[in-house]
Amino acid sequence: MGADKVEIAINTVKIAIIFLMMIQMVPLLVWLERRGSAFIQNRFGPNRVGPLGLMQLLADAVKFITKEQFVPANAVKFLFLAAPVIALVPAALAFAAIPLATPIHIDPFHLLGQSWGPYTIEMQSVRMNVGIIYILGVSSLGAYGLLIAGWASGNKYSLLGAIRASAQMISYELALGLAIVGILMIYGTFDLNKMIEMQQGPFSFQFMGQAYEISWLPNWGIFFQPLGALLFFIATFAESNRLPFDLPESEGELVAGFHTEYGGFKMLMFFMGEYGHMMVGAGLVTTFYLGGFQSPFVWQTYDYMLNLAIAHHGPGTVASALTTGYFLIWFSIKVGLLLWVFIWVRWTLPRFRYDTLMDLGWKTLLPWTLGNVALTAIVLYWARAM
Amino acid sequence: MGSYDVIFYILSIVSLGAALGVIFFPSPIYSALMLAITMSGLAAMFFTLEAYFLAGVQLIVYAGAVVVLFVMVLMLFDLRKESQPFSGQKISNFFKAGIIAAASMALIIPLSTVFFIRTEKTKPVTTVDLAGTLFTKYVFAFEAIGILLLVVLVGALALAKSRGGTHE
Amino acid sequence: MLDQLLPILILLLIVIVFGAGMLYLTSLAGPKAKQTPERLMPYECGIPGQDPQTTKFPVKFYLTAISFILFDIEVIFLYPWTLIYIENIKQMGGYLLISMGLFMGILVFGLFYEWAAGGLEWD
Repeated sequence: MGADKVEIAINTVKIAIIFLMMIQMVPLLVWLERRGSAFIQNRFGPNRVGPLGLMQLLADAVKFITKEQFVPANAVKFLFLAAPVIALVPAALAFAAIPLATPIHIDPFHLLGQSWGPYTIEMQSVRMNVGIIYILGVSSLGAYGLLIAGWASGNKYSLLGAIRASAQMISYELALGLAIVGILMIYGTFDLNKMIEMQQGPFSFQFMGQAYEISWLPNWGIFFQPLGALLFFIATFAESNRLPFDLPESEGELVAGFHTEYGGFKMLMFFMGEYGHMMVGAGLVTTFYLGGFQSPFVWQTYDYMLNLAIAHHGPGTVASALTTGYFLIWFSIKVGLLLWVFIWVRWTLPRFRYDTLMDLGWKTLLPWTLGNVALTAIVLYWARAM
Repeated sequence: MGSYDVIFYILSIVSLGAALGVIFFPSPIYSALMLAITMSGLAAMFFTLEAYFLAGVQLIVYAGAVVVLFVMVLMLFDLRKESQPFSGQKISNFFKAGIIAAASMALIIPLSTVFFIRTEKTKPVTTVDLAGTLFTKYVFAFEAIGILLLVVLVGALALAKSRGGTHE
Repeated sequence: MLDQLLPILILLLIVIVFGAGMLYLTSLAGPKAKQTPERLMPYECGIPGQDPQTTKFPVKFYLTAISFILFDIEVIFLYPWTLIYIENIKQMGGYLLISMGLFMGILVFGLFYEWAAGGLEWD
């Protein structure tokens, strides 16, 4: 956490800011989703409130807060109210472990007559040495929020939606967990920061004792594991209950699934959970397969960018912060593009039927991911050990 | 008392309190949810002991899979009407259970302090060490687990495929 | 050791305080409508509600959950294996490959058995 009071304070504030940033992304994504869907369906979308309809976000926020706090008579009150918060927790906790950018080095400074520092502030809430295991662990708790919501609502549709949702989530969690085994095998670590480090530099690999290198291509995981990346990305769709996997809330059959009885801010929290899962999924795809926060231009390494910043601003906190900002922009671009793919797919593909959904999870994704693991293991053995 | 102790006591209180909740809640669904909290609390305890991988396994397998199964099944076959056997127990039964628990604790705690608690700081066991031991020394047990899981799968299939009883 | 746990606990606290606080805030800010029995009924498109407890669920959900647990444990064993596989691929790669291949083979056999027995069919 930190060696002294100032560092602990900085880190605590940082945790809160990263969480609030994640929450703040939700209205933006909702806006993007509405404008994007309008663009895809050849209509306007929200364009009345403010420029490009951006003030719609504020109007929505006010609307959400001033809605009635409704609890149906049939509901179990405490669990009914707790479920949205429980649904928000896994996404927020999982996002905390994803590295957003390079750490900021703060030079020693004076405050209140004492000298503090130097500090190194990681650009992630918690730096885990078992990052991926932790993320899989907390996101596997995602089923509780839905189950509790569905059961506590005391509504037939809610319960049906919740049971469907949890069965779907656990089915795709297998594919999710297996799809990354291939890339873990190549990296040989659970530490997300180390994975990003290993994706530095130009694309290079060893084959039969000889080293090969392609100087213009970054050393990203997707070039080693294209199939794994695709399977993982598909599984994250199902994990976040998005179309085409939004069976839990298929309005044609279940009204709105597990959140039928929810409205106002409680509903918004389920939204935050869903978008949070999307952000975690996009962040993980970026970290595993797209080089994390690194620039796609191979020469723009951390040292190169830091020296560039030092050349303009001199060594110190400012140069370090600028470098961090630069890499944060790359992270945001990659995650933003992936989130756009989420939205794009939602408005392009129709919904699955429940049996086809489970078939896809168990009979297609699971064998394919298992095959990917076996293939990766054998190819690695062939390339490295022979 | 350092920050480590504070965290340890908070986690212990949460885990033990939730474990008591598992026993004392009349509704089985609440019991199962309490069990989930207990498991998550234990995962956090593993974290404080630097057993990071075990903490993850505790979360993924117990809190994220086994207890989810419990909660799902309890919600499927909602036991609201059948919850009488859980709630209508006589106080004396609780006393008997309490005495047995207290007696076993009185036996276990002194024994464990004598035999099991090591105070000297040992080198933390990393996941790599764990994997190395698992796939060399205990590889036979590891393969046996595979067989065991297969047997469980066949058993579950046989149960689910059987007709009659409460499900159709 | 606490470096990795404490931020999570703080974040957990922040999330819970945020969630509970916002729920409290909206209950203050929102209107207080008069509650009638009809209004408090479960949402059911206007027809009298059906008790969820009378709804029957297929046992398939149970089978899905239990097969998930089994395969989840398999995946869990794969993770530590990935850590040592590439490091030791020269010395004992073949041995590791075979020991994991055997384990996975048993479970893949289980998967195909379940498939053949109709355990994965949703009809």
